[in-house]
Amino acid sequence: MKQQLGIREYTSIAILMIGAKTTENTPSSLYSEAQSAAWMIPIISGGFFLIPLFLLLKTFSVFQGKDLFALIQRLLGKYIGFFVLLSLFIISSLAFSYDTRMYTDIIHTFYFRTTPLVVLYAIFLFVCVYGAKKGIQHIGSIAYITIWYIILSFAFALILSTKDNSIQAIYPLWGSGIQDIIKASISGTTLFADFIILTVIISNMSSTKDFTKGTWIALILNAIHISAAVFIFTCLFDRSLEGVGYPFHTAIRYFSFGNFLSNVETLFLPIWLMAGFIRFAALLYICTKIFGHIFHIKEVEYLTPTLATIYLLIGIIPETPLDVALEFKAKIRLIAGPAFLAISLLLWAVALLKGEFKHAKNKKGM
Amino acid sequence: MQKIKKVCKLLIIMTTILSLAGCWDREELEDNAYVIGLGIDRSEHKGKIKVTMLIANPEVGSMQGGGGSTEKPREIISFDANDFIVAKATANSIISRDISYELLKVIVVSEDFAKDPDFLPIISSTLKDKEIRMDSYLAVCKEKASEYFLKNQPRMETRPHKYFQFMIEHGIDNGLIPDSTLFRYFSALDRGTDLFIAMYTTAEKEKNLSFKEEDQYTAGQLDVSGDLDDTQFSGAAVFKNGVMIDTLTGLDTRIINIWDDTTDIKDVLVNIPDPFIDNNKQLALRVTKTNNNKIRMNLKGVRPKIDITVPMTFTIMSNPSMTNYIQDPQKKQFLKEYLVKYTTSLFENVQEKTQTELKGSPYPLSVYARKYFKTYQEFERFNWVKSYPNADITLKPIIEIEDYGVQRKVLNNKEG
Repeated sequence: MKQQLGIREYTSIAILMIGAKTTENTPSSLYSEAQSAAWMIPIISGGFFLIPLFLLLKTFSVFQGKDLFALIQRLLGKYIGFFVLLSLFIISSLAFSYDTRMYTDIIHTFYFRTTPLVVLYAIFLFVCVYGAKKGIQHIGSIAYITIWYIILSFAFALILSTKDNSIQAIYPLWGSGIQDIIKASISGTTLFADFIILTVIISNMSSTKDFTKGTWIALILNAIHISAAVFIFTCLFDRSLEGVGYPFHTAIRYFSFGNFLSNVETLFLPIWLMAGFIRFAALLYICTKIFGHIFHIKEVEYLTPTLATIYLLIGIIPETPLDVALEFKAKIRLIAGPAFLAISLLLWAVALLKGEFKHAKNKKGM
Repeated sequence: MQKIKKVCKLLIIMTTILSLAGCWDREELEDNAYVIGLGIDRSEHKGKIKVTMLIANPEVGSMQGGGGSTEKPREIISFDANDFIVAKATANSIISRDISYELLKVIVVSEDFAKDPDFLPIISSTLKDKEIRMDSYLAVCKEKASEYFLKNQPRMETRPHKYFQFMIEHGIDNGLIPDSTLFRYFSALDRGTDLFIAMYTTAEKEKNLSFKEEDQYTAGQLDVSGDLDDTQFSGAAVFKNGVMIDTLTGLDTRIINIWDDTTDIKDVLVNIPDPFIDNNKQLALRVTKTNNNKIRMNLKGVRPKIDITVPMTFTIMSNPSMTNYIQDPQKKQFLKEYLVKYTTSLFENVQEKTQTELKGSPYPLSVYARKYFKTYQEFERFNWVKSYPNADITLKPIIEIEDYGVQRKVLNNKEG
């Protein structure tokens, strides 16, 4: 019997995939857009994101048990569907490459300074490939097992950093102005764009209903989580947050448990890495699945190492960590959110025009 | 088939175990020389700096019960360099071990160099070096940093990391030196609105010392005799936009630490004249602060108005006038009013100094002003740096007396 992905496992994956963004450069890039009002952005973007997500989920509710591929095939046809899936694949592939590169950069700059970047990158991807090859069920169970530890350790880190916080740092309340907040919130929808590619794994789940429920839970929790993290980092770093590349790692290097344990970042590193592995294993699995579907490849698992190698080659193109953060990743951030939103709106609009919603209603009526 | 699978799995496990050693980042404790203190001076060559490294020997004191090695606990080297990052490599031509800033505790800058505008780009490279932690302390010494480390010969804590850790921690606890981590230095610099104060230290005793009140000394002015190390930590160096401009005495530093809600003071002991007798006898008090300040601002007018109430708790530790507070509640009231008056006058002195001489707030006061603006643009238009010297600032201490000291003995004395 094929193992199914339950709601708990799915929600854990979704929370880890999106919540982990607070540990890289997301807080500082949000801060540079809206200054002290940066903590509002995740919540407002979450609000913006509600509408397309709701429409997408509604479309899915008509096609019970179908995943994104089936939906696109059914609604957009063979040719347009192919292009939509291809663009989805390219964007998520690039996002995967640069996000993993950023993780490797963090490990390289903070923990393993003399090891060549490529070696670290290869080891990192190797673990992700191993996870992705095991399948989404395994990733899901691991995510559910570890999520409590990850959340607890992260909350612990945030609580420790409140020792040196000054709550006044979040004033002026509107940061660099309401306009900036709205602008940043629109591009901030990229934060949650992963939800749309997560629809690929609906077919691995027991029911579409579980998927819908899990998505809502994860969206709300993530919006609160990211917002809280940005809030606390703002209180800790104040104006310096703009210049701090990776606030989470700078923070865990700064504080200590009294005199006795002064260098505590080594306690947080393995847990953070675990979260990273789960996040990227799931993303890699999804990317491979999309690729396999586009080119009609049956045994997708064997593709994973190949794709990961290609991603590694893309990931090492940027020369410095600064290029990754400011050029490559910023561009993806700018494209991914709107593109994914457009796809979900397109699917809903086509379904509406084709009268799929009416059909479903009639069916129920009968 | 089964066999091949097993072999494959074993191979994978073996390779993962190999990576546990840390690949290229494998480090041996024995192979490392940890720099605990870093001194920065102006060099005789133009555009260069003189770097002094205080290197601890990890082998000393690591063994319990007097074993260990007979090696010295520390080594000090000074040389000219362009910056202190490449200096690590240069130092390796003298020191056999691999130099690491991983455990750097304190960066000591000579007063002369701290006042130089070149200081800012040099200290900013601490941000670039990921080995240096932002919780390292920044200290300013009166003499040359290279001489400071040489003269500093602690008797009790021969291991330098413990010496600096204890010295600084206890100094901060009793408020004589500010909590001047690099983190605070850079956040004050990034805000650009307030001053930053760094701890002031010296290993050189001043000549012609005179006796002063307990906390009015700056480093080097306290006359101590005995078998001891001459290093003193007291007072503060004031930095404006990252460059030193002035010094503060221990008393001023204490008062600023009391005002500053972002530092912890734990054990501030002070003397103030006893109001009940006039032969120069002093009351001993312990000051603690349990609540945060209440700050109210009116920034609309030409002259901004700022009201700060500072809640403090006093414990009276001595009673030279033998006053009986229990029998005479009026005296309690009198003492309280006297304390309020006395601290207000102290506060006003320091406040005036910050506004006229320093022209900036030595603790993050501007942060509290942001609340009154909607956006950063408005706050910048207000121009805190320019408004501060003209502001009408009133500091109001709210004093609670927790304890009047041991009463029984006083009673007996009076009766007998």
